[in-house]
Amino acid sequence: MKKWIAAVILIYSFALFLSLHVYSKQQQNDTVRDASKLLPTKMKVVTATSSTKDLQQWVRKAGRMKETIAIAGMQHSQGGQTLYPNGTLLNMKGYNKILKFQPKTKKITVQSGATWADIQTKINPYGLSLKVMQSQNIFTVGGSLSVNVHGRDIRYGSLVDTVESFHLLKADGEIINVSRTENSEWFPYVIGGYGLFGVILDVTLQLADDELYQHRTVEMDYSEYTAYFKEKVKNDRSVRMHLARLSVAPKSFFKELYVTDYVLVDDQRKLNKYDELKKETIVALPKFMLGLSRYSDKGKNLLWDTQKKYFIKNDGKYESRNNVMRSDSEFMEYENPNRTEVLQEYFVPVDEFSAYVDDLRTLLKKEDLNLLNITIRFVEHDENAVLSYAKDDMFALVLLINQGRSKQEIQKTEKVVQKMIDVTLKHDGSYYLPYYSYPTKRQLHEAYPRIDEFFEKKRVLDPDERFKNLFYVRYGK
Amino acid sequence: MNDRTFVTSQSLLMTASSMVFPFYLLLIRNIGDSYSQFGLAYGLFALTGALAHPVIGRLSDKIGDRTLLLLYTWGMAGMMLVVPIIETVSALYALQIVMGVLGAVQKTTEKTALSRQSSGKQIGRKIGNYHLWTSVWGAAAVIATGYLIDFLTIGSLFYLASLLYVISAVILMKSASIESVKETKKPVQT
Repeated sequence: MKKWIAAVILIYSFALFLSLHVYSKQQQNDTVRDASKLLPTKMKVVTATSSTKDLQQWVRKAGRMKETIAIAGMQHSQGGQTLYPNGTLLNMKGYNKILKFQPKTKKITVQSGATWADIQTKINPYGLSLKVMQSQNIFTVGGSLSVNVHGRDIRYGSLVDTVESFHLLKADGEIINVSRTENSEWFPYVIGGYGLFGVILDVTLQLADDELYQHRTVEMDYSEYTAYFKEKVKNDRSVRMHLARLSVAPKSFFKELYVTDYVLVDDQRKLNKYDELKKETIVALPKFMLGLSRYSDKGKNLLWDTQKKYFIKNDGKYESRNNVMRSDSEFMEYENPNRTEVLQEYFVPVDEFSAYVDDLRTLLKKEDLNLLNITIRFVEHDENAVLSYAKDDMFALVLLINQGRSKQEIQKTEKVVQKMIDVTLKHDGSYYLPYYSYPTKRQLHEAYPRIDEFFEKKRVLDPDERFKNLFYVRYGK
Repeated sequence: MNDRTFVTSQSLLMTASSMVFPFYLLLIRNIGDSYSQFGLAYGLFALTGALAHPVIGRLSDKIGDRTLLLLYTWGMAGMMLVVPIIETVSALYALQIVMGVLGAVQKTTEKTALSRQSSGKQIGRKIGNYHLWTSVWGAAAVIATGYLIDFLTIGSLFYLASLLYVISAVILMKSASIESVKETKKPVQT
């Protein structure tokens, strides 16, 4: 019998090895699901295609049948921007070809379902890089345009500034080219338009040179941050990217902070040693630590200490621009059937930061909110999109919140979020729109003074309301 | 078959299968992108199970419960290695068919083994005892997994389950006291 046991275990080990091998390969090109998990919505049909003609026909057909369309990329918008009950969902992920790449003039034209990762893979060998994108590269270009994202880059403005032109499939089925000179009235509405003005088909983006950066990580008290940023980051042209993290650990709650600046290295010839695109390798450990921090204060303290140590250890590390722009995300995936993780993002003028953090701390000490992480980025004053959040030079605070999916839990978070937004507005701040529809209409109007103009224009350009989503229903009606 | 070994190995099986079941459902729903595919995947499982039952029943009389039980356990250990890596609907259908057959094997053997061990005496008590322990383990597994899943990736959960199946299989194979319960007597003629 022993022989038998040995034999089967041997065969099994081989199978296990094979399976793990395939599994790890698959994990490298990961797929993502709907993000907030708070809005399960029944859609009538879900369609996907790689053909422009199909898309055009579907939009025309939807017009004849008087149906509504919601457009989806990776569905990381959490406020129902990609959902509408009984509507047709256009899944754009398969519409992802790279149409034209001109390394000399530093431009690339891609279909809107292409992800940043797709583009990076294409342009990295040419020593080129994207100008503006999120910190993670899993998102589609179309989705990112629709929410007008920003990221760690502090020199190239918002995403809207890096877009040359795009083709738009309108509600009536017509396809138009939109740029700052052609059909320009559409430009500031579609970018940051939350899918309400048409289907973005292909986009031409400006590219930048890939560069070699050196990490500079500094720990400080939150009150020193504004001065540090102005002097050491904003005024130093060699700092190209920037990220900070504010403590949510109970022992240093909203006090401790560390920044990582990405400083241009003098000798750029070394870039070729660092320009291979990195892959996410360690998932289990950060996932475990984040898991602990969900449950207890001790876990939060431990995560903060470990994470800080890790970043400080990386001080002086060299990294290419492209690699900075493909930060890990897999470890954050969260599968609990009853709970979920949602984001909030608040913008506050650079000079208001200290006072704002004080107010937020006072508020959150009284409230029961399972806050897991806060990262801080910088956005330059930019009102090129109608729904612009950067009404000034702002710090953007991204909050990761763990909450239940039940009605009571949603209401509980809603109460706290509304209070946080009031604090933000009091400091002349604003909040980001892709997240769950916790804010009130009053708060929306205060944060986005042009919101009425936005919705009115939507009804002018799409009079039959062909493109509809839960965000529009909640705030636009 | 030795009672304790049987219950232990069955409890381990139950732990493994309860652990992955909710996530297996999730997987089926995610791979099939419509409810009709979800229905078909599940229907295939039930249907192959149904068709396999009479064959397996006869096999169990011929080759014995232990062999079948081992087939089931190793089969499941193998299938758990396949689950994390399937990506297409057709692979899912194939998987569901194999799972259907294996499920039928388990259902039959657990009953035949129980009834053969007890030679008719106090069989009710035995069955009660058997269900108590296997269910307790199943319940514990479901609860524990609810917590575990925050720390593990879904893939690693299936690998963990596979490992449990292997342990269970090895226990079965090692236990010297388990005889291959073949039907020595001819079945009672009616």
